[in-house]
Amino acid sequence: MPFATVLLDGVSYGMVLFIISVGLTVTMGLMRVVNLAHGAFAMVGGYLAVILVRAGVPFLLAALLAAAAVGVLGAAAELAVYRPLYRKGELAQALMTFGLVFVVIAALTMIFGPEIKPLPVPGFLAGLVDVGLRPYPAYRLFLIALGLALAALLWWTIDGSLYGARLRAAVDNPRMARALGIDVSRLYTLTFAAGCALAGFGGAIGAQLLPLEPFYALRYLVLFLVVVGVGGMGNFRGSFVAALALGVLDTAGKYLLPEAAAYLFYGIVLVLLLWRPNGLLPSRAAT
Amino acid sequence: MRSTWTTRLAAALLASSVAGAALAAETVKIGVMAPFSGPFARWGTQFRQGIEVWQKQHGSSVNGIPIEVIYRDDEGPNPARARQVAEELILRDKVQYLGGIVFTPNALAIADLITEAKMPTVIFNAATGIITRKSPYFIRVSQTIPQVAAPIGEWAAKNGVKTVVTAVSDYGPGFDGEEYFSKAFKAGGGKVLESIRMPLSTADFSPFFERVLKDKPDALFIFGPGGPPTVGMINTWASRLKPAGIKLLCTAETQQIDLPKIGRAALGVVSAFHYTETVDNPLNKALWADLHQMFGKDAVPDLATVQAYDGMHAIYLAVGKLGARAKADDVIEFMRHLAFDSPRGPMKIDPQTRDVVQNVYLRKVEERNGELVNVNFETLPMRPDPWKEDHPEKK
Repeated sequence: MPFATVLLDGVSYGMVLFIISVGLTVTMGLMRVVNLAHGAFAMVGGYLAVILVRAGVPFLLAALLAAAAVGVLGAAAELAVYRPLYRKGELAQALMTFGLVFVVIAALTMIFGPEIKPLPVPGFLAGLVDVGLRPYPAYRLFLIALGLALAALLWWTIDGSLYGARLRAAVDNPRMARALGIDVSRLYTLTFAAGCALAGFGGAIGAQLLPLEPFYALRYLVLFLVVVGVGGMGNFRGSFVAALALGVLDTAGKYLLPEAAAYLFYGIVLVLLLWRPNGLLPSRAAT
Repeated sequence: MRSTWTTRLAAALLASSVAGAALAAETVKIGVMAPFSGPFARWGTQFRQGIEVWQKQHGSSVNGIPIEVIYRDDEGPNPARARQVAEELILRDKVQYLGGIVFTPNALAIADLITEAKMPTVIFNAATGIITRKSPYFIRVSQTIPQVAAPIGEWAAKNGVKTVVTAVSDYGPGFDGEEYFSKAFKAGGGKVLESIRMPLSTADFSPFFERVLKDKPDALFIFGPGGPPTVGMINTWASRLKPAGIKLLCTAETQQIDLPKIGRAALGVVSAFHYTETVDNPLNKALWADLHQMFGKDAVPDLATVQAYDGMHAIYLAVGKLGARAKADDVIEFMRHLAFDSPRGPMKIDPQTRDVVQNVYLRKVEERNGELVNVNFETLPMRPDPWKEDHPEKK
């Protein structure tokens, strides 16, 4: 019985990691930008949702609107900040995006203060649902369903749609793609914006697990980077598997061996990376 | 002619500098170290509010001696930075008192320095037992963790709680909380089924609390560092353990300022602490009124506000009694016998340990006028720090 709840806990935690990190897989893996500001986009999404919920907008709609707004912000950032960085080295990218993190942290601290901003879940998610074994938080089940739906949608978009085909073409060989008439720059902006929107959505709906405060962008950055690294850069299915594996293994480990909790997560990451140095499901380009 | 002119100028300069020195000598400077930026900036803000309310109520001079407060940002738990800030305050700003200090590592880092410089240092927060042993120039007006963790253990054992699991953050103050809660609870006949320590970086507390659920205790004792981890712990308790009938026991986790983040799940939670925002005394009422007047309707006094207020009280009494240029040893001798009323209730300094002795309150979260607040239901009068009794000084 406890096994089932621990599994559900791990999967739902993994889903939040997946939703937030998948955008980072796209920017870091496909577009080759070291984007350390990814957590900042997630955080901004969360804060926007807080404002909307306070203004009376229902939770889910607020999360979607926040995601859209972060997508627009992401597109603006891509045009203004990221585009000039594509040709620069990784150091320049890391410094610039890390600087962006501090700007966002300072701005949010100035506007909202250093305190946690609560984002309560709506009534229908706040309760417990009987899953046959014992009552289980509805919010966690909702996260799992949402994560699965998003994963399916992404899979179809990247593997099944024309947009996906173009994106894969642009990533594999941008010059050839341009020659074929694909507007690579616009595709990158769109993809970057979509990744940011997903992060913003994750920041809003995952606020119960990763509470919103200005240092969110730094506090959880390592988690997001680990998901991308373990999953294999540029492979969103890898991120999905990695996020779930890390969520479940970390949760089960903490449950069974709380004494080892401090280093367990990093131990798991170490073992996974020793076993598959390019990630669980590396993209073809990386192997 | 020329020489007369220069002589006159020199004489005038000399006279003015002497006068200036005499004037400056009359000012008492207090250096307050706290985080004013970064994730812990709330402490600095609350210290400042407490100090400014005190100065509004009692003026910015004592017996005609002007008091100047110099705020310095030590940026959080950062021993190296704390040492640097203390050195600057002592050597460059030439302060007569140090105050503030939120974190234990910072207090320990400056202990040698203040001993060497003979600098009376009033601790406004840092709360592990050992600190005041590390320098004879430390006076603490805040609390110690054993002082508030033991009473909740005693109360639980006396009130039908037979078994407990403790879950604390994996850091020094967490260990103090775990040790003293458990000791008091066991002494009262209770049984601690398991003691869990959770990394400070934990985001998802559900696996730890799922383990608690498996142990089926009557109650769970938690101790966190404040901020996201504490809110995460309470939310996880509320969604998993509360429905299973497992009570929550804690100390600072349910302060009024944080209750809106926890929500109605906090109703009925019992905690022990030295400052309850609704405690009924004239000083506390005045503190609330002035905070609202100066910092707006949303300002809520918290432990840091009151501790800084009382720190100023102690320093004002010392300056009033001993004047602007008292010897450090006389200041400490005077302060170790202090006893006065605070917004938290009566408090005094233990002459042997230089540590605070004060009421500890047992309180419960209730709803009043649509707001969640702590309401006292039992007062444990004038509690010393139990850590000192358990660790007698070897000399």
